[in-house]
Amino acid sequence: MATVLIVDDHPSFRATARAILEADGFDVVGEAADGGSAVEAVHALHPDVVLLDVQLPDMDGFAVASHLGQNGHAPRIVLTSSRDAADFGPLIAQCGALGFVPKGELSGTALRAVLR
Amino acid sequence: MRTRIFAVLILGLVSTAGALYLTLSSDHEQNPAFIAAVYLVIVWAFIITGLLAWVRRPSNKFGPLMATVGFAFMLGALSESSNAYVFNIGDILGGLGIAVFVHALLAFPRGYLETKLVYAIVGTAYALVLGVAAFYNLFNSDTCEGCPRNIFFVTDSSVGRMVAGVLAVAGAGFVLLGTAAVLYRRWRAASPPLRRTLAPIFITSAATLFFIGLAIAVSFVSSEASDVVWWFVLFAFAMVPLAFLAGLLQLRLARASVATLVVELLSADGLQELRDAIAGTLHDPDLELAVWLPETYEWIGCDGALFDLGAAAAEEGKTTTFVEHEGEVVATIVHDAALEEEHDLVEAVSAAASLSLARERTVQALKQSESRYRALLDAAPDLMFRFDRDGTYLDFNGHPEDLVSSPEQLLGSRAHDVLPADVADKIVNGVREAIDTGRLVTGDYRVVIDGAERDFEARIVKDGEEAILIAREFTELKRLNAQLERERDYIRTVVDNAPSLFCMIDPEGRILRYNQTLEQLSGVTDDSQARERRFWDVFIVPEEAEEVERELLSLAAEGAAGEHENHWRAAGGGQAVVAWSTTPLLDEHGRPNFLISGMEITERKRQEEELRRSRARLVQAGDAERRRLERNLHDGAQQRLVSLSLALRLAQAKLNTDPGEAGKLLGSASEELAQALEELRELARGIHPAILSDRGLSAALEALAGRAPLPVEVRAPDERLPPPVEAAAYYVVSEALTNVAKYAQASNVDIRVERLNGHAVVEVADNGVGGADPLGGSGLRGLADRVEALDGRLQVQSAPGRGTVVRAEIPCA
Repeated sequence: MATVLIVDDHPSFRATARAILEADGFDVVGEAADGGSAVEAVHALHPDVVLLDVQLPDMDGFAVASHLGQNGHAPRIVLTSSRDAADFGPLIAQCGALGFVPKGELSGTALRAVLR
Repeated sequence: MRTRIFAVLILGLVSTAGALYLTLSSDHEQNPAFIAAVYLVIVWAFIITGLLAWVRRPSNKFGPLMATVGFAFMLGALSESSNAYVFNIGDILGGLGIAVFVHALLAFPRGYLETKLVYAIVGTAYALVLGVAAFYNLFNSDTCEGCPRNIFFVTDSSVGRMVAGVLAVAGAGFVLLGTAAVLYRRWRAASPPLRRTLAPIFITSAATLFFIGLAIAVSFVSSEASDVVWWFVLFAFAMVPLAFLAGLLQLRLARASVATLVVELLSADGLQELRDAIAGTLHDPDLELAVWLPETYEWIGCDGALFDLGAAAAEEGKTTTFVEHEGEVVATIVHDAALEEEHDLVEAVSAAASLSLARERTVQALKQSESRYRALLDAAPDLMFRFDRDGTYLDFNGHPEDLVSSPEQLLGSRAHDVLPADVADKIVNGVREAIDTGRLVTGDYRVVIDGAERDFEARIVKDGEEAILIAREFTELKRLNAQLERERDYIRTVVDNAPSLFCMIDPEGRILRYNQTLEQLSGVTDDSQARERRFWDVFIVPEEAEEVERELLSLAAEGAAGEHENHWRAAGGGQAVVAWSTTPLLDEHGRPNFLISGMEITERKRQEEELRRSRARLVQAGDAERRRLERNLHDGAQQRLVSLSLALRLAQAKLNTDPGEAGKLLGSASEELAQALEELRELARGIHPAILSDRGLSAALEALAGRAPLPVEVRAPDERLPPPVEAAAYYVVSEALTNVAKYAQASNVDIRVERLNGHAVVEVADNGVGGADPLGGSGLRGLADRVEALDGRLQVQSAPGRGTVVRAEIPCA
């Protein structure tokens, strides 16, 4: 069972996302509310997957993804946002993330589809 | 000459002695004593007369001819000889005297013969006395009683004598009548002076010829009667030289009358009287007189006009005699040529008149120059007055219409009688000053002539104990000057008061002058100091001076106009933005200068800049607003809807396995949805309040007031305003209320909207702490931009402790 770290500044989304992903068979190992704590959590927890919100209070999801990507054993990163992927253009592909799941469409199935 | 005279006299004495001897010793002369007396009287009368005439006119042949008459007459004495040859020669030559007499008579007074007729008469006379007499003797054997025989006698022929007689009568008739005709014609043609010369000779000669004719005529009837007439002939003949002598005597008398002339000349006044006196003395009524003016090289006649001497002298029978005084020609007398006969008289008259004529010439010269000066005066436009010391008008020159009163009234009047007191004072003082100092006194005065004010410039000069005032009118000049001055003042006023900056510079950029507007802007007075300097050094800020100098000098070189925008120095060390241009301009002296005309656009520039910034702020405000909306949507409603979506999906997943949990999820989703809707409504209001569009400003403000966290009182008219005005007013109130809620610590707020003077006035007043920075915050700044975009004005009064009043005035027709 893959371990997941959820990074989002909205507690309600983190709770809902944890419930959905756990219901769909993922092991949510931790949550982070901003970029800085997300990086720390990755170092501490070594999750397999990071569900990373693009819009964070300190740095955006792309910067966090790039930062995490510089380490050798980087987790697999899936970006999410209430916006559409088209709003971000090539940024998603360039930052080292595996893919993007819109927040409104988040489910275990959708996540696995990106990870596959 | 003297030798010749003596020779003639000696010849005359010898001849007379011979003639007397022959006569007194004659054996056939009946009356020798009488004949001898006749010789002595008649012959010598002619000889003496001839010599006198010869001496008087050596070149004239009349004298010798007269003397010859005497000698020829004496040849007749040869006929007294008892020798036949001498007798016969004398008998023929006895008539020669008559022929020579006719010759002399017809040559009088010139001494030579003229015209073919005269030659014919004289020729006939000689032929008659010599040829016909000899011819007659060819046929006449008889001689006088006791006389020697006729040696010419050829044959006794009555026909020959008849022919000779006819020839003699015809010849004598021709000679007598011809001579009479010539004399008559000459008399008719003669001028009075010439007649005076001709008269004595002509009368006696005519008498002689008449008696000769009579004698010949009478001889056909009675030889005794004829002899008696011959005595008359002799008598008349003797009278000819006597008459000539009498004529000469008359000349002597005439010369004596020169003394009378001198007296007349002394009392003569003017050239005309001089002429009359001279003409009277010379008995030449047509005499003309002219004086010579060497200054002008002219002859002036008695009428004072130019005298054409050439034309006068060229007239027939006229001769000129020049009158000299002290070796200088002063006059000329154009007189009858016959007066040449009386040359001495003319000379005497000329000498006597020379002094008077010299004097007269001076007078004429003076008159001429006076008339020239008078003409000059008359031609001059100036008025001239002569004043005595007391200011009395003695004389004037000029047009009567330039006088204050009529000329008759003026002359003799005093200046004070005809002029206003101040003008008269001025003139009399000037006259006295000129007379006393001898210096030129100048001044001007104004008089009213025919109701018109006229200005004169006066120059007063001393003239003996009098003064001449020369007045030149300058009314028109003064009027033109005044007009010019007015125009100049007008232009100066316009130039000085125009908002434009004007400065004249020369082609080297030196300041010539500039207007008050530029003085005020620059704070530099237009004085000689400024005028020495260069335009760019005085008026342009140092950083741009070099550029302006370069541009101006290149424009000056091309004589072209140009337009520029630079920073000019402003009074007090500031700067002003000036848009300016240069135009080539000829100054009043025709020099090519440049007019720089500029307009200060500092304020306009500031306004433009402000407008630009305001626009930028509006754009930024719009951007910021959209960002805020996007963030609000994203962070608010969108997040809630995402959560809602996920919650619904979760609830769906749990519906069968855990219905209780699903129910909880649906409950919270419903709550989430309600909040999302509320946030969307709030957001929509923030974008544009629907109530404002639908119900108007009043209702919208009431809604705002209702949502405010403190008591708000709204007073606003129910009428609708133009949408942009309503929107601006709404946001002013909205922003003000937000600020009140945030900072003012107020307990209540008054909102007032009214229409005032074509403006919508919106006022939001609170009773809070005040001290707001009017335009510091982006909120108020944005409102001001919005209001100013509608040409309105936003004011914020916020003294500390006295609440805050935000007031917007928006034009609203």
